[in-house]
Amino acid sequence: MRYVVNTIKILILLFFAGVFQYVLPQHDVVRIVNTYQERQDLNDWTRIFWANPDDQSVELINRDVQFIQTVKKRTWLLGFIPRDREEVMVYRNEDTGWSWPFYFKFDTASLQTEADDLRSTPEVPKWAVMTHYGWRNELLSTFPNAIAIRAVADPGIYVIPWFNIFFFVFLAVAWLTIRGMWRQFRERSVDPLLHDIDEAADSAGQKARGFWGRWIGRK
Amino acid sequence: MALIRLVVFGFIFLSVVYLALSWYSRSLRREKLEDSWAEDHPDDPTGPARDAFIADGMAEYEGGLRKKLILLVYVVPAILVIGIMIAINMS
Repeated sequence: MRYVVNTIKILILLFFAGVFQYVLPQHDVVRIVNTYQERQDLNDWTRIFWANPDDQSVELINRDVQFIQTVKKRTWLLGFIPRDREEVMVYRNEDTGWSWPFYFKFDTASLQTEADDLRSTPEVPKWAVMTHYGWRNELLSTFPNAIAIRAVADPGIYVIPWFNIFFFVFLAVAWLTIRGMWRQFRERSVDPLLHDIDEAADSAGQKARGFWGRWIGRK
Repeated sequence: MALIRLVVFGFIFLSVVYLALSWYSRSLRREKLEDSWAEDHPDDPTGPARDAFIADGMAEYEGGLRKKLILLVYVVPAILVIGIMIAINMS
């Protein structure tokens, strides 16, 4: 039984870690190679890896999506440890509008223009920091969604993830509040009720007391 | 439609948070009042004087600033949404 409970706990934890890893913003140092636009089929389950820019896009089975092709500085440990190697990375560029995930991004066309403006060659590279969320998976054809881009002089720059720091601090505070709330609720509302029930059961005789004792785990 | 959905579900969710926080804050205040009565009157643990003391304290809480501060549960997310919109789209 304990193994089952622990397994379920670990699965829930992994699920939330995955969701956060997918949804929270991350920063890549990139050099933009090209941008393009391509029609995408959206009528299978991988639809969840594409955004819903507006209401009609929910029902469309295909539509044009803009992409940004880059060469990216590789990192280890979610961007915390820089490396000297590069890889190619392709970002999609879609509005998220008013829907999940809540980036409230409406400036896809402007972002595409900024990306075009930053195009450069390996000989004369122009580096930029790309803020994005999402996963690149060649097998499922999923792409991270570009959120913002800004030019940087030094490709060795480290961007402090302020949003994520605040987010996890907030999450910890919220968790402690909910825990405090639950304890207060038990102490003030549930326990007195059980106490009353217990007393009523006491007066109702040994048999009833045994029943309630088993029910609430008290002797 | 997506905006309406966000506003409606956001309002429902924040209302649940608001009600839970209100209950929690009120309950903490009542417990504090009970504790301070027990400390000051160890010889009189129950009775009408205690009830009146707690009722007074709770009336003060109901009119106080702390209760109004819980309304920030609605204000802060709205400001946050506007802030995110500006940060993402105006650069």
